[in-house]
Amino acid sequence: MTQTPLAVGLIGAGGISHAHIPAWLELGASVTVFTIEGGDEVAARYGIRHVESLEELLAGCDLVDICTPTPTHRFLVEAALTAGKDVVCEKPIALTRADAEAIGALAAAVGHQVFPAHVVRYFPEYRLAQQAIAAGQIGQPAISRFTRIGAHPAWADWFGDNAQSGGIIMDQMIHDLDIARWICGEVVDVYAVQSRVAPATTDNGAGERGADVAPPCVTAQVVLTHESGALSYVTGVWGPPGTTFTTSFSLAGSEGVLVHDSRTDLSIRFDTGERLAAGGMRPDTSLSESPYLTELRDFAAAFAGGSAPRVSFEDGVRAVDIATAANESLRIGASVTLLCADQGVFL
Amino acid sequence: MRAGTSLRGERMLRVGILSFAHVHAATYATLLRDWPGVELLTADPDAATAPAEELRGSKLARSLGVNHVDTYEQLFAWHPDAVIVTSENARHRPLVEAAAAAGAAVLCEKPLATTLADGRAMKAACEAAGVTLMMAFPVRFSPAFGQLREAVAGGMLGTLLAATGTNNGKIPVGERAWFTDPELSGGGAMVDHIVHVADLLAVLTGLRPRSVRAVSNRILHVDKPSVRAETGGLVTVSYEGGFVATIDCSWSQPDHAPTWGGLTLQVVGSAGIADIDPFAQHVGGFAESGPGGLHLNYGVNTDSILLAEFLGAVRAGSQPQPDATAGLDTLRIVLAAQESAHIGSVVAL
Repeated sequence: MTQTPLAVGLIGAGGISHAHIPAWLELGASVTVFTIEGGDEVAARYGIRHVESLEELLAGCDLVDICTPTPTHRFLVEAALTAGKDVVCEKPIALTRADAEAIGALAAAVGHQVFPAHVVRYFPEYRLAQQAIAAGQIGQPAISRFTRIGAHPAWADWFGDNAQSGGIIMDQMIHDLDIARWICGEVVDVYAVQSRVAPATTDNGAGERGADVAPPCVTAQVVLTHESGALSYVTGVWGPPGTTFTTSFSLAGSEGVLVHDSRTDLSIRFDTGERLAAGGMRPDTSLSESPYLTELRDFAAAFAGGSAPRVSFEDGVRAVDIATAANESLRIGASVTLLCADQGVFL
Repeated sequence: MRAGTSLRGERMLRVGILSFAHVHAATYATLLRDWPGVELLTADPDAATAPAEELRGSKLARSLGVNHVDTYEQLFAWHPDAVIVTSENARHRPLVEAAAAAGAAVLCEKPLATTLADGRAMKAACEAAGVTLMMAFPVRFSPAFGQLREAVAGGMLGTLLAATGTNNGKIPVGERAWFTDPELSGGGAMVDHIVHVADLLAVLTGLRPRSVRAVSNRILHVDKPSVRAETGGLVTVSYEGGFVATIDCSWSQPDHAPTWGGLTLQVVGSAGIADIDPFAQHVGGFAESGPGGLHLNYGVNTDSILLAEFLGAVRAGSQPQPDATAGLDTLRIVLAAQESAHIGSVVAL
């Protein structure tokens, strides 16, 4: 007996869709795409269907995968839930706790699930570290550091617009804010600083931005105090064009230390006498199973009635809380207290 | 033989080491013992009150093969040209003042002092006596930092935005218990491990720090009864012009790790990112005989370069860098970090 393939309705054809679509196909799903632009190309590239309306997409799928810019998340998640679908939603789940809570309330009302795509939990190095610490292998976490560095997103303008993306903390560093909480426990206090250099404008004389305008460089540093007393440092960089994508962490506990650095974890290297192309908007995961595939398989299994996935909707909301607190800390120049673990109330 | 000369025709320099309290004293003693043109004399009278299991005083001097006298008075009566102050952090001031009174140039172990009043008094005493005061910030002399400094000065990184520094080491309680006794050390990991990175950032950026925010905890080494201060800390410094830096100053190198720890600095600029790890150069491996693996360093000895700078300035009668101002500037950041961690808010400088 052959099973009907899982029908995924994927919304958006931006950067992350190129990680999700191959993963869904690998999982045996059929994928239909709805997108404002680029539908033809993405459909042709992966041999999948694209449709011209959200209604058409929702009418023909089992679950919805939202890969769109953050400001559209709430509207699209609510449309999918209302249509009776389970939902995978890119991180951050929303830009505000109010939007996230509205999503959660609707999901509970219609009896469907929403999972935030905090994919870093599915990268094996982070999973191993989390498991080792949960098993007590380095004792009680004390001081942790997380670094995430890449070029400023150049494939879409909305990342650079804080009103749309929430800035580097909400868009990029939220990965490690989530990981810090996953590994070291609930966060009770957040302090953040940020530094930015405006784009070097190449004035074309007509007052318009030149096509080769350099993006800004932005970096932020966030210090978290966890409920346990553990402290975490998270830094992210949206650097100059060509910046190699790198991640690292160092976890010091009462009984030992765990470290990882993507720069020194290379199972294959080439020396062809040429400078290798730097850049890339995502880590190279080509040597093992795509973490995006691991993630979507986990979500699909949970939708099918299996056990809860590695990251829950509440985890996604909590990550938004921490990032929001960090942005608030930037604004007021002081640390921000997260009053209690299950409420996004700030002092 | 005060007027003795070395083989190279240089006047012999008399250098005293005041106290073996700091672990670096033995390092300096070993280097100076074999230093051409230097006569070395050591004194460690506080050894009498140090824990019995710590190797100090005449016993340490004997094991190092260096000359030793029982009191600081005897050492100053020998008329040293220069002294190195390696007492407990809170006991730097009387020794620096005594050195100033004796007309000896001073190399002071970091931090300069544990209070601003002490630090200012030490600087003033040396200025009044016309003796130079140098701070022992050896990482400044690391070739890796030198190259970073040149790269930044040459604009390779563009406009500097931020830095992340780490100075993590083993907790020094086994060798010297006073490091975790705030009465003598002035605090814990923050006193021990903020100043090196803070000094590098001051030199690299030329920027004045404007505010400090720090958090600390005591989860690491909580099982060690002698530890009475923070063992972990994260210190965020905001500078004029928007530059920001966070320093991890924790004693997070495990006791059985193959090396003492290290220092790293990552600098983010608008045109690129640079990382230095001045103590990284080593041959690594494993030996069945010991835990943790082998770590055979071959990087240049920055303590040796520091001493060369100090001794050269003593001979030339010039002011070596880093000076007392560098000591005071970094001390201000330490004190602000301690205050911030204590009161739980940002401290303006």
